[in-house]
Amino acid sequence: MNWIIWLIPAFPLLGFLLNALVVRRERDAGILASVMVGLSFAATIAAMVSLEGAPADAKRLTWTLWEWISAADFRVAFGLLFDPLTAVMALLITGVGGLIHVYSIGYVHGDVRPVRFFAFMNLFVFAMLMLVMADNLLLLFLGWEGVGLCSFLLIGHYFDRRSVPPGINPSDAAVKAFVVNRIGDAAMLAALFAIFTNFGTLSFYDNPQLGISGYLDQAFVVAGETVDLGAFGQLPLIAGITLLMLVAVAGKSAQLPLYTWLPDAMAGPTPVSALIHAATMVTSGVYLIVRNHTLFDQPASAAPWVLVIGVMTAFIGATAAVAQLDIKRVLAYSTISQLGYMVAAVGMGAYVAGMYHLLTHGLFKALLFLAAGSVIHGIGGHQDMRRMGGLRDDLPTTFRLYLIGALALSGIFPLAGFWSKDEIIAHAWFDARSPLAAIILILTSAITAFYMGRQIGMIFFGRPRDPAMHAHESGSTMRWPMIALAGGALVGGLINFPGLHWLNSYLRPVLQEPEVIYTLGMGILATITTLVSAGAAYLGWKTYARDLEPRIRIGKDDPAFRYLGDLWRGMEIGWGLDWLYQRVFVRPYRAASVFLSQVVDREGIDGVLVDGTAHGLIRLAQGLRLLQTGYVRTYALMFLVGVIIVVAFFALRG
Amino acid sequence: MELIIFLITAAVAIVGAAAMLLSPNAIHSAIFLLINFVAISVLYVLLYAPFLFAIQLIVYAGAIIVLFLFVVMLLGAERAEDARERFAWQRPLGLTLAATLLGLIGYIALRGPAPEATATVADQQFASPERIAEALFTTYLLPFEITAFLLLAAVIGVVVLHMSGVLRPET
Amino acid sequence: MVPTSYYILLSALLFTFGVVGVITRRNALVLFMSVELMLNSANLALVTFAMARQDVAGQIVVFFVIVVAAAEVAVGLALLVAIFRTKRTTDVDEINALRG
Repeated sequence: MNWIIWLIPAFPLLGFLLNALVVRRERDAGILASVMVGLSFAATIAAMVSLEGAPADAKRLTWTLWEWISAADFRVAFGLLFDPLTAVMALLITGVGGLIHVYSIGYVHGDVRPVRFFAFMNLFVFAMLMLVMADNLLLLFLGWEGVGLCSFLLIGHYFDRRSVPPGINPSDAAVKAFVVNRIGDAAMLAALFAIFTNFGTLSFYDNPQLGISGYLDQAFVVAGETVDLGAFGQLPLIAGITLLMLVAVAGKSAQLPLYTWLPDAMAGPTPVSALIHAATMVTSGVYLIVRNHTLFDQPASAAPWVLVIGVMTAFIGATAAVAQLDIKRVLAYSTISQLGYMVAAVGMGAYVAGMYHLLTHGLFKALLFLAAGSVIHGIGGHQDMRRMGGLRDDLPTTFRLYLIGALALSGIFPLAGFWSKDEIIAHAWFDARSPLAAIILILTSAITAFYMGRQIGMIFFGRPRDPAMHAHESGSTMRWPMIALAGGALVGGLINFPGLHWLNSYLRPVLQEPEVIYTLGMGILATITTLVSAGAAYLGWKTYARDLEPRIRIGKDDPAFRYLGDLWRGMEIGWGLDWLYQRVFVRPYRAASVFLSQVVDREGIDGVLVDGTAHGLIRLAQGLRLLQTGYVRTYALMFLVGVIIVVAFFALRG
Repeated sequence: MELIIFLITAAVAIVGAAAMLLSPNAIHSAIFLLINFVAISVLYVLLYAPFLFAIQLIVYAGAIIVLFLFVVMLLGAERAEDARERFAWQRPLGLTLAATLLGLIGYIALRGPAPEATATVADQQFASPERIAEALFTTYLLPFEITAFLLLAAVIGVVVLHMSGVLRPET
Repeated sequence: MVPTSYYILLSALLFTFGVVGVITRRNALVLFMSVELMLNSANLALVTFAMARQDVAGQIVVFFVIVVAAAEVAVGLALLVAIFRTKRTTDVDEINALRG
């Protein structure tokens, strides 16, 4: 029954092809796309059932479609792999993805390009599935690039608009996403080269069908090898490879310093933000590390750096989210922050905890984005929170759903986020012996709760600040997916509930991680964290729903600016990283491009070389034309001159 | 003896040619050219080319000059060219260049190894009409036939050039 | 006992006269006659060399030259007459319509 696994990516691919080539009507496109993802979900379930039948020490289903590349020693298969880790990711992708597709049917109704939208959404699901189901790094890279491409295509969905709220140009945002991803991709390729050079294969596990060996089980082989960096000393090979992977993860999963594309990616339609920039594409970096955990487990690997980057990103993302005025940008920075948690977790070796948070975050962040979309849709397209206020009366269902998502994100007992986030913090404190990391993560959790409270307060409480606004609830196609996700947010803690350890057991064949023993210390830590977060959430809500609420005005700065001044401004602009990149990279590059295109190309090559040659020839011809006088006698004279020259040549030559 | 005949004939040829160039009247030019042609035919005799002597007189002196005279008189072109000269600078330049050419050829002619003088010709009949006929109708038969075509083409061409008013009915 | 170089020099001299005629005279007919003069001088040189080498081929060539010259004169004069009908002049300098 192994062939089932190729159905999982095949359905969305088919959906993409049909939507791209055949379908014309919006209704057909939406239903087709959703059905395809639904079928993919069903195939995933079927594959998971089938997976139970595989032996415990080789718990995977493989299906090699064909031998993709065979050039001397370089052999790569086009093969799919389905093991518990893949299963978990595929469930998230197809499950949450399917719900988002259904939601989109309502959301993009009346859009100018609905068929294109659904085609690329399906293509995205296909690429993401290829990423998690690839049995080798090269095919994974194909999916990796594919999701980057779809991100570009979907962020730029409104490419004909100059600006979308809150003032971003969609085309520029799409390009920025793609280019920053590219930096990560370059590092990824370098990592591929390094792995192939040192292990001789790109395949994860042995492939007896094609006779290709896998490298993941061979990680210890290169334990002692180093790379000579000349003046910089010797770098352990494992450190080099994992460092390159870290750069790739930083690009794709929006970690420091490559996160600047994610806030601008909000220029895309909200379902895109939900699917790609909350639940799936951005989590592919985490998947990469988890899949390659044997490399990161090596003593000399760059795992400590992963932890550092993760923790820093979590903190910075949260602080930036506090000061945002656009509803989606808060969620974007929040995603950056939560991804930081996941990356920190895998940096500590807590892979199960990282995956746990990945799953729960996928549920409640998607819920939050969809609910935000519901708000935006309901009030006619505005995204500025200063315009909102008091919406809980007009949008009661959306309010409740948003509240569930916010509580989950803040890590409030007993919602899903509490369990996964606290497992990471506990790991940091007890197992990894990094109290500093744990403290920062706890602080970040508090800040997270604060900004969610702020957001709830600004949007749903207080008086309505825009007199022209009329709010209406969303239709059923938009509501039911959100309700389903809210259900997941409520009970998602069960995935790896203390004592039940379902996720840990399920992933045991792949990760071999020991079960976490829940001690009293952990309970105390979790309680402290939750109380701090709850307090922060209440503080955030109270400040913006009551205390500062009268001073929130459309077009004016956030009232907190008056107290925090530059600090607030710094948070609002994401600590200036994007500004820095603009100054240092983007503007000089653009200036150089303009120079090359206008001066070098247009004036130099076109003007001097092409036109210049033409004009030169014209002038030459005009000059030569004067010889054609039309008088026979003159011609005869010229003949004579020529004859003399020839005769003289022969005469004097001897 | 032969030298004297050569010198007299050469002088006649040169004078005729010069007179042709200098004469303002085109008919006089034609007549002087005729004198030149006759002198050349005499030179052919001295060069053991009796057949060519006859051909020269028949074709050149007898047909070509006559044709020239016909056209001159038809067009009334005998009068002198009018005074205005657009390219006055060409005359001295042309004379200089011509002199240069003459000098060059002379240099070539006098420098090379001296070929046979006329009196040392072994076989004076090497170019008798029989020999000419022999060569013409065997070795050079193909050029001979082609020349026939050439003449045909010339005749047709001349007729076509002046046909335009003939075929179309004058309305 | 005439050295062949004398004949060659004579030929060269007559050729030069022809050249001068082509460059100098404006009457189309005299120009034509100068061209004939040049042809004749070439013929003379050819016959001289035929004699020097005892080779009849030189004279055969001269025969052909004469035939071709005759044909050329016929056609050329016909052209001249045709031009005259339009231009009403035999001045070569008037025929400059093909200027560049």
